[in-house]
Amino acid sequence: MESIPLTWEEVARVYGRKIYNFAYRLTGNPDDAHDLVQEVLLRVRRGLASYQPGSFEGWLWRITRNAFLDDVRRRQRRPTSPIPDEVDRWNLASSDSADVEYARVSIGDDIQKALLELPMEFREAVVLCDIVGLSYEEIAQAVAVPIGTVRSRIHRGRKMLKDRLA
Amino acid sequence: MTHPSELISAFLDGELHGSELAQLIDHLSGCGKCSADMEQMQRVRSAIRSLPVLELPRGIVPEADTEVVPLRRNKGLWAGVAAAVVIAVIAVAALVTPPPGAVSLDDLNSRFGARASLDPAFSPAKVVIPAGVADE
Repeated sequence: MESIPLTWEEVARVYGRKIYNFAYRLTGNPDDAHDLVQEVLLRVRRGLASYQPGSFEGWLWRITRNAFLDDVRRRQRRPTSPIPDEVDRWNLASSDSADVEYARVSIGDDIQKALLELPMEFREAVVLCDIVGLSYEEIAQAVAVPIGTVRSRIHRGRKMLKDRLA
Repeated sequence: MTHPSELISAFLDGELHGSELAQLIDHLSGCGKCSADMEQMQRVRSAIRSLPVLELPRGIVPEADTEVVPLRRNKGLWAGVAAAVVIAVIAVAALVTPPPGAVSLDDLNSRFGARASLDPAFSPAKVVIPAGVADE
């Protein structure tokens, strides 16, 4: 049986680093990652009271993903937004457009740079799998798509990375 | 020949089971292209997973001490309450328990009748009076 953290402080200590790494690999920006962790912890604090027993990982990463999406949307509304106004395509999941870039490249690391060049749904699937270490089922719960879609996104995301790193 | 390439990543992640697993293994044994693809995918997968784990900047999550402090406070509060209760019980017991040979229940009944045990308004302090037997 899955053990469920009882307090948001425990959630922060157990998952804070993972959330930060998820956010950083998705955005390539430490300040954005910092802000996202704080926003996620705030939402966890509010949400724990009404948490229903189930997949805690799925619940937590759904919150994390939604917080990230909201942040991208907020930036989209700002005139100085560094992120292109393509976020709706991510949610609608119709993106074969490999040239879509949602976040700025802030470090020179080849893998990180290639990761940031992936369309968001592929980047997200790869990061949740290879950086966060979630199972396909947990990713499916967090992203609210079938497992088959998760499998496809991870494979295609890695394939795009392979082409970019070649 | 149809190449089940999407099964390769799932296989590397340990997410392939049953007939699909058998299908891929069977295919790999006769397909050099998919074997080479799998090797490349394995390299990419390892490369992503080799990215350094970044430490959380300080100050984002609460320090461990913030949780210890309230626990100590709670412990202190309850210890204080428990001590007060114990002291009160001892004090009452001292008041209602007559010294050895001082007074018996029959003495109390003869002096105060049923009041001592049935009248809730009867203060134990009144029981001190029989303790005056100590004057004896």
